[in-house]
Amino acid sequence: MGTIVYAAAMSHVLYPDYYGKNVGPHGRRMVEELIAVVRDMGCDMLAAKPDALVVIADDHLNVFSFDAIPAMCVRIGRSVQRMVQDDAIEFDQALDGLPQRYPLHEDLANRVLEQGLESGFDFAASWSAPLDHAFLSPVSTLCGPAPVPPLVPFWVNCFVAPQPPARRCFAAGRHIARVVAEGPWRVAVIATGGLSHFPGLSLARVGTSDVPFDRRLVSLMEAGNHEPLCALTMKDLDESGSHEFLNWMVLIGAVSPARARVRFFGEMGRIDLAALEWALA
Amino acid sequence: MSRYEVNVLLYRLKKDPVFRARFRDDAAATLTAAELTDEEREAFVRWDPRRLNELGGSLHLLISIPGLGGH
Repeated sequence: MGTIVYAAAMSHVLYPDYYGKNVGPHGRRMVEELIAVVRDMGCDMLAAKPDALVVIADDHLNVFSFDAIPAMCVRIGRSVQRMVQDDAIEFDQALDGLPQRYPLHEDLANRVLEQGLESGFDFAASWSAPLDHAFLSPVSTLCGPAPVPPLVPFWVNCFVAPQPPARRCFAAGRHIARVVAEGPWRVAVIATGGLSHFPGLSLARVGTSDVPFDRRLVSLMEAGNHEPLCALTMKDLDESGSHEFLNWMVLIGAVSPARARVRFFGEMGRIDLAALEWALA
Repeated sequence: MSRYEVNVLLYRLKKDPVFRARFRDDAAATLTAAELTDEEREAFVRWDPRRLNELGGSLHLLISIPGLGGH
């Protein structure tokens, strides 16, 4: 019987230069503190000896264009490339210098996809989508110089309306937990992104975050009180700038009713940086 | 409303360096065939990211186009 052996969620621009440029020394210091915490979390993750690492993250219109944006998508195949962006600016630079190709856990990815379709989840499948910073910045920080476990990348549409509801994301996580339980593997699951930044996806509001909203989310995760999280509306998440919490909702569904432990919470002003782990039975 | 067209152009500006170079040389000419409203076209030609964002342009595209993005 398979097991989720490690579960965590964290912000995904783990790139000091980005915050140094856009926030200043205070931002750089804060993300460097977060990176140190995530590296420590990675030691715990690797010590659990996962056979596969499911990464739940979003696309920043790097991979999917307005021609077709899946609500949720499973990356299948044998390996995956990192995104290549010419003259990358801002957070795309977080990919610079990382390996160009990563192994996939083909069997687990196929099971998530195929059993999902059989049980009512119309997941999209991609054989070619590359990974942007939302996946590779946390994965590379967690793993450091160690080999990256075979990945199962899972995209959630966090930014282009209409997004999948929080409750649907939670249900997708329950599905992933069932697939893992029925398989033979030890599986780590992480979700990335957030917390609050870019409220309303408005350029005019860049630089602000909603700390009270995020503190409420964190306190509900610490308490293992997941129903109010499932009841979050996209309006709630859009106005607060916590769009990427949809990724976290998939993870929460996978580990519910486990309680979270806060490893890091930082109010930068521009964004609330966070890293949480879940205590698994 | 041509939110789709606005975002297709922004995506192309990010991903297609040749198109991006043409746009930087002569934005108006580059957009001749694009199905944009006058307001959208003007925002592109003036390169007004805030206005493009208000008109439905994706924030993530607007801040990450090489040589044009940033925030």
